Amino acid sequence: MDTLADATRTPVRWVARTLEERLLTLVAIGTALVLFVLFYYPVATVFADAVIDDGAFTLEPITAILTSEFYLVDIIWFTAKQAFYSTLASLALGLPAAWLFARFEFPGRETLRSLTILPFVMPSIMVAIGFVATFGRNGTLNRGLALVGLPPVELLFTLEAIIIAHAFYNAPLVARVVTAAWESVDARAVETARSLGANPRRAFRDVVLPQLLPSVGIGATLTFIFTFASFPIVLALGGFQLATIEVFVFAKVRDLAYAEAASLAVIETVISLTLTAAYLSYEARQRAAGRTANPLPRQSVVPTAWTPKSTLRTVGIAVYTAIVGLVFIVPIASMILASVTGADGGLTLEHYAFLAERQATGATYQVKPLPAIWNSLLFAVGTLLIAVPMGVTMAVLTTRRYRGRTLIDALAMAPFAVSGIVVGLGLLRGLVFGVDVFGTRIRVTGALAIVAAHAVGAYPFVTRNVAPLFSRLDDRLVESARSLGATRTRALVDVELPLVWTGVVAGAAFAVAISIGEFDSTIILAEGAGRYTMPVAVERLLGRRLGPATAMGCILLLVTSVSFFVVDRFGGRWGEL
Amino acid sequence: MKRRAFLKATGAGGTAALLAGCTGTTDSETTTTESGGGTETTTTQGTTVGGEDQVLAVGTYASFVDAPSSSPGVWLKDQFESEFDATLEWQTPEAGVNHYIERALRGVESGADLYVGLDAQMLVRIDDKLDEPLFTPAEGLSRIGDVNEELSFDPEGRAVPYDTGYISLVYDETQGEDGAFTAPETFDGLLEPEYAGALLAQNPTSSATGQAFLLHTIDAKGEDGYLDYWAQLKENDVRVLGNWADSYTAYSNGEAPMVVSYSTDQVYASQSGEDLAKHQIRFLNDQGYANPEGMATFADATQPDLATEFMDFVLRPEVQAEIAVRNVQFPATTTAELPEDFAQYAQEPPEAVTFSYDRLRDNLSEWTDAWAREFASK
Repeated sequence: MDTLADATRTPVRWVARTLEERLLTLVAIGTALVLFVLFYYPVATVFADAVIDDGAFTLEPITAILTSEFYLVDIIWFTAKQAFYSTLASLALGLPAAWLFARFEFPGRETLRSLTILPFVMPSIMVAIGFVATFGRNGTLNRGLALVGLPPVELLFTLEAIIIAHAFYNAPLVARVVTAAWESVDARAVETARSLGANPRRAFRDVVLPQLLPSVGIGATLTFIFTFASFPIVLALGGFQLATIEVFVFAKVRDLAYAEAASLAVIETVISLTLTAAYLSYEARQRAAGRTANPLPRQSVVPTAWTPKSTLRTVGIAVYTAIVGLVFIVPIASMILASVTGADGGLTLEHYAFLAERQATGATYQVKPLPAIWNSLLFAVGTLLIAVPMGVTMAVLTTRRYRGRTLIDALAMAPFAVSGIVVGLGLLRGLVFGVDVFGTRIRVTGALAIVAAHAVGAYPFVTRNVAPLFSRLDDRLVESARSLGATRTRALVDVELPLVWTGVVAGAAFAVAISIGEFDSTIILAEGAGRYTMPVAVERLLGRRLGPATAMGCILLLVTSVSFFVVDRFGGRWGEL
Repeated sequence: MKRRAFLKATGAGGTAALLAGCTGTTDSETTTTESGGGTETTTTQGTTVGGEDQVLAVGTYASFVDAPSSSPGVWLKDQFESEFDATLEWQTPEAGVNHYIERALRGVESGADLYVGLDAQMLVRIDDKLDEPLFTPAEGLSRIGDVNEELSFDPEGRAVPYDTGYISLVYDETQGEDGAFTAPETFDGLLEPEYAGALLAQNPTSSATGQAFLLHTIDAKGEDGYLDYWAQLKENDVRVLGNWADSYTAYSNGEAPMVVSYSTDQVYASQSGEDLAKHQIRFLNDQGYANPEGMATFADATQPDLATEFMDFVLRPEVQAEIAVRNVQFPATTTAELPEDFAQYAQEPPEAVTFSYDRLRDNLSEWTDAWAREFASK
């Protein structure tokens, strides 16, 4: 009996061991496959229109745009300029928040930090409603200015309004990635510098700053790419005279002028990817030393002693808090208020009652709140399960050194850089309509396709959150684990992951946020078959009255807040085990 | 393989049918086997078998079935099904009719019998991009004679009008210096300094109301004059926002005293107890731009006869009245009997303006492109 047991156990163990050894490779192959089916192939069907005309290769459409003064100056250059200003504004708003989160202790710090992801998932129409109510002619800001006897400001429908809205979306992103990096700065390195006679400023400049710069760089790069491809918010808060490239991509797609649409999108993508590659080659050169388990101590926001310096700092924090209140809290509060305001201006719960009634009596082809919530959560969990392994694997692969690494890295980041409109159209052509393969039509739709599409959009976030931390790890850690007989996968799970866990949790939160907020691909792949999500429901509920849409938007905010609370708390605790 | 049958079979099955191989040709009588979800179905469609309902698949825009104010979709489906031995299935693709054009471009069957919600601009787009006909001319309609002549916008007779809207200005009397704002009476009046920054319009390249307003200015100022007129409007700080919702949100918040919208604006305002002073209608030059909506049968419809019956049903006087009230538009037939209060609040322009299909066919893209370049130049 014993020999029989041994005989069966050994092959099983051998299979398990082999699987473990090959796991990274398998996940990498899986990632490549998913990317190809859900991203590269669909996008290629659209980009082909830019260079293929009646089966022949042509550069005419792209040349036409690159030689048009209107497109070059009024659209492309303006878009870049706008994105640059938006990036500066996002850094200006996001970096102080990172400093506060990483270096100070105050009540509700953890909760606030969890909630910084909220702007990420807000549909643009919600942001527009909140911004009109905040910065409009009769908005909160002007009423506040009138109270203290100041003249009103006309902010809406200007470039400034677009820039502030972009900062609303992206400053939290900057804050999150920089906070994560700041918390992984080794306190002992700072102490060593101080004991060697460096003053605090010098210690910050020589020890802390070099470890923060890559995260500031990724925050700025992502903000630029996102605002470079901004579309609905530009038209809602600025207007057509401030049109960006994406506005024209959309107009051309709607007009079925595919050659022009694709050419614009190709140019847009090339610019974004060039920038991405530039950032990545810079990131690859950063090799910060240090371990990550010993963060800097936090201090109280209220100083222990009132010196001129500490007073100045406290005043600065107070002013910054007021600005954050105006840009983030007031618009969201305005939206919540709109959801409980009736047509006559009085308080009412009728919009929520409408949603409840729709839930109870709505037809199958109408959107209902509960399926939207359920689908959003289901897709978010699915995205988490796929995007985190994908992202971590890509991070492991891309922190190795080999020729052409930056190119592979940039290609892996491409889902950030391609216009959502183009991805959506590609998915429709390539997956929803199906592809003829040897006389059989292959179609890919439904829940799994949606999750996979979300994972494609989300995994680069995981990679970018984890990769910088991986590159800091001492190679000898893995080598010694391997020499003691651990497989590569085992070494990753037991040795490396615990050391980069903050990055994994940060990436996971982004993955969930990307999934909950995603719109373009979801609506294409859902095919109206009852697989709509919360943002889709918000958009469908828009109409002659705004109430139901804002009520749905508030439900989205609530569900998202709770989800992030869970992700942050659960993820953080899990890492401590 | 019918897409609908496939959706029906898989829609309930959670994550079933990630991959569906559809074998053979794409006519209406093929079978499917799905792999990846574990379900196996074989569906035959197109004929009534053993008392099984026929299915009529109707494509339309989302707010026709799913608006938060009111929409005719649910009522139409219930009425139609109560009377005909058939099931009406709404399809509301995000891209509207473009979804079906795109299918045709990629050589995929349309998967629907009818489309409800066409306008002249869409027909131009269809005929511009497709060599094969997407829709067939409507034949055998007993009530086609009831349709108001002036609203028929398809010279080939494919699209049959079922309602029409008039694009006009909606303005707020309570705004202005002394709370007594009045909108100008002419297009030229909009250029006066007192109306600086006072008008909210929509992007003509992606919004129906925006497009109609642009066409109205072309009608008023001529092909050679409209770009100059818009340059002056831009000087006077007109705001062209993304879509109707964007602009109406801003208007509701008192951001500007005028917005481009529909002349039926008071219908909903009166129902929901809004202050009518904030929903005054102005027909510039005493005109409104008529944008009739039509329905048409797909050339590859599997139920052409049922589609014809549906169209005839939609043209009945009582159905026309109901669609008008629920879609907050005007009926397309001369026989519809509207309820009192609707007639009281829905305003018709003294003169309706609209471009013929032929004029649009030759010019629409150029007009819109030229406008976009003019207006987006910084």
